[in-house]
Amino acid sequence: MSEISVTPKSFEMVFYDSAVIGEVVGEVAERLGFSEPIVLEIDEASPLGRSKITAYDPVELWVDGGALENTQRPRHFGKQRTRDTIGRLLIRILDRRSGRFDDAPADDELSLSQFAAWDAHCVGRLERLGIGGQRKRRLYQFRNRHGFTDVADEAFDLLWDSSELNWPEIERISSECRAG
Amino acid sequence: MRKIFPAEELARDARFIRQTNEQRLGDPRGARVAGGSSGDRLAKLTPELANGPDRARALMHGIFVGEIQALEGAGRTCWDFELDEEVPLALKLDMARQCWDEARHCEISVSLAEHMGTELGEFAENGLLYEAACNPDPVLRLTGVNRALEGLAIDVFNTMKEFGNLAGDPVLEFCEDWMLADEVTHVKMGSDWLRRLTANDKERLDKALEFQKIVDRLFSFNGFRGEDDDSPIQLTRRFRELAGFSDDEIDEIADMSREARVEAPS
Repeated sequence: MSEISVTPKSFEMVFYDSAVIGEVVGEVAERLGFSEPIVLEIDEASPLGRSKITAYDPVELWVDGGALENTQRPRHFGKQRTRDTIGRLLIRILDRRSGRFDDAPADDELSLSQFAAWDAHCVGRLERLGIGGQRKRRLYQFRNRHGFTDVADEAFDLLWDSSELNWPEIERISSECRAG
Repeated sequence: MRKIFPAEELARDARFIRQTNEQRLGDPRGARVAGGSSGDRLAKLTPELANGPDRARALMHGIFVGEIQALEGAGRTCWDFELDEEVPLALKLDMARQCWDEARHCEISVSLAEHMGTELGEFAENGLLYEAACNPDPVLRLTGVNRALEGLAIDVFNTMKEFGNLAGDPVLEFCEDWMLADEVTHVKMGSDWLRRLTANDKERLDKALEFQKIVDRLFSFNGFRGEDDDSPIQLTRRFRELAGFSDDEIDEIADMSREARVEAPS
């Protein structure tokens, strides 16, 4: 099992417990086959939901406190939200390590539509693993980036349902519905 | 049946979780507003923002629970006051019509939530709208709810209509347009009744306008609603004019937002 390091160790602005967060992150990492150490830095002052991979090897993740929050109970930890946030980041790391994503731009160079397309492919797989979900939320994000059309919906289904696409396929699916 | 039904006893099923005003305003990270946080310099809500779709979902959920409370509030106003002694029949009829509108808005909002991938109760519910609808003076109640909060709804609906237009989302755009039309009518009802019921009572008029300002201020965190191009929610001058606001009144709201923006932490 991965060794999980959570920063900060204690929280002042939210009711989070770093040990509990570490357990949830460890559980997601184990389900995805990670066995290496993972560093997670949390900005507890931000209720927004941003997240990013700051280093791929060793794995270092950064998230807004809001990305781990229970949206029904502001300031309280949300286990399912955390699984979704961390799962999406870790599966992207696995994708990049697979060799199928060697052509993909760096994370900070991905366009919003490319991100939405890749996320749809990530979260679809997470849902089948019982880790993440919210298919309709992801569909709405995808439609905002690719159009509210039947073509975009079919592209989303393909991304969501596929088990192992590569970057050129994701980029083609995304760009075809943007062109259409 | 009792009069003035307390906010904490409103009926909700297990999906809904209430966040009190104390909890909301006591969040050291900044109160939640416009689908974001008042602790941040929020950008104008557009689909081009990385978190634009998620902010839109959160904002529309806030509107949805606001519609439920507006229905409850207008319903209470039909019942809480004695006919003729406290309010005329025409006011109750207006509130009954508003109940019909709000019920329709609830149904539209449920469909919109489904469309946007939001689960009912996914976000905490704040009960401020209904609390404003508990004021024992019907004039203050209509001023706080119909002019202040439904006035804010005009600004939100117009912003979200534009969001739908920019995203190429006809469902959102048309739903917002239809609800916006009703909101203008509700605000106009508030403006008309305020003037009619206080025509010979300057003190009551002043108290009602002061109550409206208090409610407006509660929703002016960091000046998130204003006339600047980058205001997260755009103050909609034209629709407010149609709803019976004078130029001076609109200027005052714009000034209040501008001041709140200047005072906000950078």
